Amino acid sequence: MTRTADLQTDIGEVLLTEEAIAAKVAELGRRIGEDYAGRNLTLVSVLKGSLPFMADLMRQIPLPLRIDLMEVSSYGGTATESSGLVRIMKDLSATIAGEDVLLVEDIIDTGLTLNYLVRYLRGKNPASLRICTLLDKPARRLVEIPVDYVGFEIPDQFVVGYGLDYSERYRNLRFVGVLRPEVYTPPA
Amino acid sequence: MTAAAGKSPHPAFAHASEAELARILDFYDVRWRYEPETYPIGWNLDGDVVESFSPDFYLPDLELYVELTTLKQKLVRKKNRKLRRLRELYPDIRIKLFYARDFRMLMLKFGRMALIEDLTGATGQSTPPRPPASPAPQVSVLDPTGAAPSDEPGSVGRAATGDVAGGIASDLSRTGSRRRGRRRRASEAAAAALPVAPAGVESRGDPA
Repeated sequence: MTRTADLQTDIGEVLLTEEAIAAKVAELGRRIGEDYAGRNLTLVSVLKGSLPFMADLMRQIPLPLRIDLMEVSSYGGTATESSGLVRIMKDLSATIAGEDVLLVEDIIDTGLTLNYLVRYLRGKNPASLRICTLLDKPARRLVEIPVDYVGFEIPDQFVVGYGLDYSERYRNLRFVGVLRPEVYTPPA
Repeated sequence: MTAAAGKSPHPAFAHASEAELARILDFYDVRWRYEPETYPIGWNLDGDVVESFSPDFYLPDLELYVELTTLKQKLVRKKNRKLRRLRELYPDIRIKLFYARDFRMLMLKFGRMALIEDLTGATGQSTPPRPPASPAPQVSVLDPTGAAPSDEPGSVGRAATGDVAGGIASDLSRTGSRRRGRRRRASEAAAAALPVAPAGVESRGDPA
């Protein structure tokens, strides 16, 4: 029988409270606002996980910035995606040539997706390209990429909430929590 | 050997987890080579290589080796020892070790936990072992731990030439000069990027 997700009982521990996230996002927004003052900033976010972070972050940056959204396929997303290449499900809506681009990520762990995106975006000739992530899980890193703005460095646990999902669930949690292992462990 | 995206002739991987990692790297357009080099990590008194280590993957664009060990933790002790030796002898090499837990987390990230039992542990050994190498000479291992090299399950079918010294007796009565000689040989081997094994299989074209 398929297990039913439960927002309350499936979370073993609250790792980052709503208040802690809000404070960090405000801090990041101030820093980014200072660093990009007088420049043409475009925030590029990657659907779907970065959506809440992007929505909150852009309102904390006191600059006349632009935003754009991308979506890329994830490995193993469907049975047919277990081979082949990353696909751009949704590309940028406008050119970023000559723009100062800040790539906004929800979490960086292996760095594989980020590595692909950075190469893709660099090919569009932005004036600059930097990276901002709310969460950084360095223990998982396979591809080392310099990250310019990091909200929180987190331990090597499977986290959900504030945009992060497991099997497309839990994105709407207002905090970041650790998912109970029994939720994702296959039944014996 | 370089291959076009999606058409790479994958080698006969020793373990299903290695094949899965290769597919993941392919998916994210990261070039890789499978067991491209073998590094000597043990010598006998005559200076012959009696133990070596072949990291599973080399990612040339990242200048990084990846070793995948999806066996139970208690069984990876010998591999950890080999890795320590590799890092001692070749400090410039960057190598990332993926344990079973790391691989499980990777599968969890990609929503493939249902496959985990097929991809890890002894059941994941997807290819038959290669023919055994020539019997090892009865020599002493130049290893301070005294642990004998072994063909642990995770390295079945590896191209390594040095994992042949089963039954080699340990000998911890090394002299300082012999240790220096070993380090000198290691340095020379490292400087020459000494590939003992045949060249591995390379996948992926140049990144987009």
